[in-house]
Amino acid sequence: MDTPAATPASRTFNVPATASAADGAQTLIEIDSFDFYYGAKQALFDINLRLADKRVTAFIGPSGCGKSTLLRCLNRMNDLIDGTSVKRGNVKIRGIDIYGRDVDSIELRKRVGMVFQKSNPFPKSIYENITYGLRIQGVKSKARLDEVVEKSLRGAALWDEVKDRLHESGLGLSGGQQQRLCIARTIAVEPEVILMDEPCSALDPIATAKVEELIHELKKQFTIIIVTHSMQQAARCSDQTAFFYMGKLVEFGETRDIFMNPKNPQTEAYVSGRFG
Amino acid sequence: MPPDHTAAADNTGTPSPIFAIQKARTRFFGLTFDETIRVFFGGNAFVAVIVLALITFFLFREGSQFFGQNRDSLRTYRLAGLEYVDIIRQQEEDHTALTRYLFDIRLKAVVKLTEEGVDAAEAKRRLAKFDDYAERYGDTIVPVRGLVSELTEVATDIKTRYNENEDYKVARQQFLASGMKAEAEAIVVKNLDFSREILAITGTFPAYEQINTEYAEALKAAIAELPVLPVPELQPRLERFRELNREYLATFPTRTELLKNWNNNAPVGWSESFTQFIFGTRWLTASFWQDWYGIIPLFVGSLMISAIALFIAVPLGVGAAIYVNQIATPQEQKLIKPAIEFISAIPSVVLGFFGIAVLGQALRALSQWEALSWVPGFPYSERLNALTAGCLLALIAVPTIFTLAEDAINNVPRAFKEASFALGASRMQTIVRIIVPAALSGIVSAVLLGLGRVMGETMVVLLCAGNRIAIPDFTAGITAFVQPVHTMTGIIAQEMGEVVRGGIHYRALFVVGLVLFFIALLLNFLAQKIVRKYRISIG
Repeated sequence: MDTPAATPASRTFNVPATASAADGAQTLIEIDSFDFYYGAKQALFDINLRLADKRVTAFIGPSGCGKSTLLRCLNRMNDLIDGTSVKRGNVKIRGIDIYGRDVDSIELRKRVGMVFQKSNPFPKSIYENITYGLRIQGVKSKARLDEVVEKSLRGAALWDEVKDRLHESGLGLSGGQQQRLCIARTIAVEPEVILMDEPCSALDPIATAKVEELIHELKKQFTIIIVTHSMQQAARCSDQTAFFYMGKLVEFGETRDIFMNPKNPQTEAYVSGRFG
Repeated sequence: MPPDHTAAADNTGTPSPIFAIQKARTRFFGLTFDETIRVFFGGNAFVAVIVLALITFFLFREGSQFFGQNRDSLRTYRLAGLEYVDIIRQQEEDHTALTRYLFDIRLKAVVKLTEEGVDAAEAKRRLAKFDDYAERYGDTIVPVRGLVSELTEVATDIKTRYNENEDYKVARQQFLASGMKAEAEAIVVKNLDFSREILAITGTFPAYEQINTEYAEALKAAIAELPVLPVPELQPRLERFRELNREYLATFPTRTELLKNWNNNAPVGWSESFTQFIFGTRWLTASFWQDWYGIIPLFVGSLMISAIALFIAVPLGVGAAIYVNQIATPQEQKLIKPAIEFISAIPSVVLGFFGIAVLGQALRALSQWEALSWVPGFPYSERLNALTAGCLLALIAVPTIFTLAEDAINNVPRAFKEASFALGASRMQTIVRIIVPAALSGIVSAVLLGLGRVMGETMVVLLCAGNRIAIPDFTAGITAFVQPVHTMTGIIAQEMGEVVRGGIHYRALFVVGLVLFFIALLLNFLAQKIVRKYRISIG
């Protein structure tokens, strides 16, 4: 990857107040002045971010910088951890504050799906894994379930590999297949946003390439936010990139700009591999 | 610069002073300090294995001779003609059952008449004809009964003389062994000639045949004319009575045949000794007639109490485990977990007191409460019964089931829970569809170990189960569960102190212990196997 060898002297330390989506795409997620705490410890400081619809956004930054925390705030997965709280600011998806009083976090998670770092298929058959999200919503029709299973598995580029063993355990698949199964399971409930928390960190390069290819396909239908430690991955598959450091959003912009022409010296130092 | 140790080794063989790697060590009994510690810990660890082996060995040693002794006992039963008498006695007992059936009809009739407002004297008058009939029916057995009591005496006499003789033989052997020849000579051993003695019993066969023919005639006559009841609703029951009598009469020829071909010398096989224990429905000890060691009444008692205990403890224990692990706040967890675990610290004898003083009384009072009379088995009058003991045992099983089930649920990877939530499942959906199925094998093994705990519990059942050695009457359905029962553990605790060491009764109790031992072994084995399988499926 080509990065400038040295920081131009003209650059100043400048956190953008609001990073906006480029090339006129519709804004889907608006994060305003967002502060988040684990107990008394503040994890996120005044995050302001606009994420565009049907785009892939990568969150990058060193470990502990808050990128995963922010990701998990977007479908309120942090609610499951005791003692977490939002002290200031809000997150709006399609203009609705997801921390608002009447919001049901269960409904929210149906619209904002998530793929985890370590593939975690349920100890059930492949078929049952895919249909789980629909079954808990009360879908019983066999025809509809069959249709969704095929569609989701095709969507996750897994159909040809598993179509003959849909009723075998999902745990019998390889690591990469398991992760794609988890993606298939997520898209089966047709969310608007898919959050991916380091989805390839446990995969070998070939499986990683398949998932990345899949991300390209998926962005036609879904808005994808991916947390990654791999700069190459962020550069390869995202449209926009946000760089976080110490709980703060340092820089946000088109991926090309972040990697080729970062405005902030910290960003530049990170993407060029000098720290992190 | 490394020391030149090759040179040192070459010239004298003594270690070079520069490369000093050898050290004198203190030795205890030829072992170094490290080895001593190793032996100490290893010894501690292996004590468990050794103790288990010893327990198994002694249980087997004490128990194994039972089947031989039981076989001898059964052989005497046959040789002395007790078996022959029991065949005829069975006929008498069947008749008694039929007479009871008549009484039952009468009781129902009286109840019905009272409901209609008829007073006692009037009811008695209306039933006079029926009573007369019942009396006549009851009397038909008298000749058979006479014969049975006569033969009982004869058989008992033979058996007593035989046993005395056996005792003499033993005494004589003992005298001889200790060299007291004169005393040994003084004992006169008169061997019984069973084939001659038995004639006093089998010789009555013609008399029996005659009595039996007359008895059959009397019965036929009795059922030919059935009385008319003042309560027409009960007439079908009388018809049923006639039917039962016909069936009873149909057994007569086989019985006669059985008696005719009966032979006191027929060999008693090992299998007979074995089946009399495993499938025997009578546990009858210290009887003047014949002792029976059948484990079924005790086994059924243990099983029923365990079933009640698990019926209560499984929902409580598993439910509490799910709640504490998945739903409860940290404060609630801090309260509930120690409380449940404390229950297991209560001495079971204290729980037994609680059962006698409080629970038994309270349950009986509850059963007699009008509003609950629809519950099958309610009201009941026995304060100490399978239900009382089962409820208390549930209390003992809950901590075991709770702790192990909670462990199992805790071992379900957090990732499953997160994935489920991320797909829009509610907390309850996640618990029911993901967490419990994933922990199921762990929960099942928790239940099995809970069952093992319940099966082995002694004090509570001894104090609260009612200790009646009989198979509860299952014909009345679920009412059987409020009848007093006895258990395998209870019988050992109760009778072991009173038996002759080395006697058949003593050995029988050991075999019951062996059965318990194997049940525990089996349950633990299954539980471990299931848990192992579960670990593989998650990993």
